[in-house]
Amino acid sequence: MRKILFLVLLLTGSAESQSQVTYERLLHADREPQNWLTYSGRYSGWRYSTLNQISTSNASHLLIQWAFQVGDLGQFETTPIVVDGVLYGTGQNDRAFALDARTGRAIWRYQRTLPEKLQPCCGMVNRGFAILKDRLFMATLDAHVIALDTTTGNLVWDVISADHHKAYTFTVAPLAVKNEVIIGTSGGEYGVRGFIDAYDATTGARLWRFDTVPGPGQRGHETWAGDSWKTGGAPAWITGTYDPDLNLIYWPTGNPSPSNYGGGRGGDNLYSNCMLALDADTGKLRWYFQFTPHDVYDYDATQVPILLDADWEGRPRKLLIQANRNGFLYVLDRTDGKFLFAKPFGNVTWARGIDRDGKPILNTSLRVSPEGTRVCPGALGLTNWFSPSYSPETHLLYIATSTECDVFTSSPQTYRAGHDFLGSVYVPDPAERPTGSLKAIDVRTGSEKWSFPYFSSPNGGALSTAGDVVFAGDSDGNFIVLDANTGRHLWHVQLGAAIYSTAIAFEVDGKQYVVIPAGSALFAFALP
Amino acid sequence: MFPKATRLLAAATLLSTALLSGVPVQPTVVSAAEPQNSAEDKPAKVKEGTSLFRANCSPCHGLSARGGGRGPDLTSGHWTHGSTDAAIFRTISQGIPGTEMPANGFENSEIWAIIAYLRSLAPPKRVVVSGDPLSGKKIFFGSAACSNCHMVKGSGGLLGPDLSRVAASRSVSYLIDSIRSPDKELSTGMLDPNNHYGLPLVYDTVTVVTASGKRITGVARNEDTFSIQLLTTDQNLQFFLKKDVKDVIHERKSLMPRYSEDALSASQLQDLIAYLETLRGER
Repeated sequence: MRKILFLVLLLTGSAESQSQVTYERLLHADREPQNWLTYSGRYSGWRYSTLNQISTSNASHLLIQWAFQVGDLGQFETTPIVVDGVLYGTGQNDRAFALDARTGRAIWRYQRTLPEKLQPCCGMVNRGFAILKDRLFMATLDAHVIALDTTTGNLVWDVISADHHKAYTFTVAPLAVKNEVIIGTSGGEYGVRGFIDAYDATTGARLWRFDTVPGPGQRGHETWAGDSWKTGGAPAWITGTYDPDLNLIYWPTGNPSPSNYGGGRGGDNLYSNCMLALDADTGKLRWYFQFTPHDVYDYDATQVPILLDADWEGRPRKLLIQANRNGFLYVLDRTDGKFLFAKPFGNVTWARGIDRDGKPILNTSLRVSPEGTRVCPGALGLTNWFSPSYSPETHLLYIATSTECDVFTSSPQTYRAGHDFLGSVYVPDPAERPTGSLKAIDVRTGSEKWSFPYFSSPNGGALSTAGDVVFAGDSDGNFIVLDANTGRHLWHVQLGAAIYSTAIAFEVDGKQYVVIPAGSALFAFALP
Repeated sequence: MFPKATRLLAAATLLSTALLSGVPVQPTVVSAAEPQNSAEDKPAKVKEGTSLFRANCSPCHGLSARGGGRGPDLTSGHWTHGSTDAAIFRTISQGIPGTEMPANGFENSEIWAIIAYLRSLAPPKRVVVSGDPLSGKKIFFGSAACSNCHMVKGSGGLLGPDLSRVAASRSVSYLIDSIRSPDKELSTGMLDPNNHYGLPLVYDTVTVVTASGKRITGVARNEDTFSIQLLTTDQNLQFFLKKDVKDVIHERKSLMPRYSEDALSASQLQDLIAYLETLRGER
């Protein structure tokens, strides 16, 4: 009897450990194509799936499998996590849910009780969970970090990270590394002082903080005139990527505050609009690269960095690639941040080019003025926060882009805690209606291989798969499948509302699914 | 940090689609405790209000409050929902139910700043309208054939904007420009580049070239990456899949014909404007 009990305990224990998402599993997420374990699918940020059941030859046969209604309004920006047949997602107003990934039926729902007044610049959104062991981690709109139990959705821990009364809000999907949960703040439109935090996944204790605006005595502080650092912005609201061999986290930062007026904050304004390489254990800065120094156009660098090992100019290098909101595609050496290459991937007028050190050559005739100055790309960027995708099959980077140019009209402001702090107004150039496209860029040359036109500027990114297809969503509600090599349209479906996120792929019972949020629902598609 | 043009949502502060709605104005009492604009702090208030207006209201009402793709001119002197500071305060803070003018989360002091800005705008030059509205009505429904395309109180065509309340939203000079030079200020449809509102791109002139080469022109009632829904010049709805047509051309010109002095004399124009000035939405 004792032996049987021991055996039962052993088996039970074994089953539990198998169902847990260990750091080892996250490290090797590419070995589990049936799952989607991190925001970008794997630490390298590729948003690429090796599943190939859905391919160029059969994508036109896709059928809806289920839809899940969140039951709330506003932009639905989640990237779900999928583990062994269970899908975990977050929704508007800090809702969350777990679903049977095969049927879309809910296992549990979570709704955070939020304070009455919160100030996310751009909607009561959340971009997803991170998972580690049997816990899900969420960064909340009231600037807390919380852990939920994967089986029940019960709250395990809840820590205050920042003061939401000062317009700190969180919308980012955390990144789980080792036993850490890493998040970055939003609030760049309200004069917050940005930071990136790491929390102990077990206890919620804060392990380190990196201030993205250096204080007195800190390196980089001299890049802020006077006291402007105190309201310097530089938020960090998009999930970074991670190189376990170098033990470096790559986390991009956003605009300096005020976002569109530089008069009171002379200097380069470090570490706004940067790529930061932080030691994963300590949060110490290993290197940085600033894409848009002293930005006045709101060119947040908050685009997912892609990590790629490839030959560069004849020798193997560890590369970091980013299609930046300022309109340039950058290639850096991710061991030391050395600038290797930049090339515009659309219409850029704010800079005439990038010099050999990676600094923009400014178009000085386009200073923001009280009368209004037309600048391309507009404040919303040639691309934005929605994820790009890199396919190792095609060597192409898939980027959703916008043609919008804006007329910037300066309107200096005085900082008031918790209030908008923009310093300018921008409106789309009334002479041309902005459109968009999904572009395929060869990362080895920066040249465009194909472009698929959208009628409107996009809000959703791209997912590429080993089926040689790219899944994308447009702002007019179309979920679209394209040939990854040619951009040829294979299939689309109208989902009835704008798509504000990017697809993921997973597999249950031998069937490949793709899931995309649109409106307030999550839609799952598969072959018949 | 704007991920997207979501600020335009806040900017959907349609101060006066609301003003056009015809919703009865309720008497409003502003509490004495509420901050109001005093002469001493006026310059600072105007400056703050300018910034707030530009950031939050201008996408609909225009950068200078002279009306945009969605919101009416706020310098016209016409305030359908009340012209007192208290009434404008209420319109901004509470919105107008049944219209696109939403309630807004401004602090009271911010609303007062916006009001200070609106009050600071130079009042429009009073354009003397000397025409005869009855004659203008005959021109509208007769010789000028305006009613072929425009509807007033349920009578008229479908292609152009319904003008039943046009005087409450547009200045006389705007109306004259629209008649004499209709391409001068094109409607670009919604100032909604990311389609946050999912609203149709009304009055965007489009020509569809069919597979057989036939050109069909109209205004796009809606359009996306794959399809277009057209109200054609013969006032029928026609739907096209883009894969089935040769081209979809956005004309960047108005379907409204230009009424030169040969087509509409100066006195006829005065009569027509006098008629349009009577259209304020009253039933």
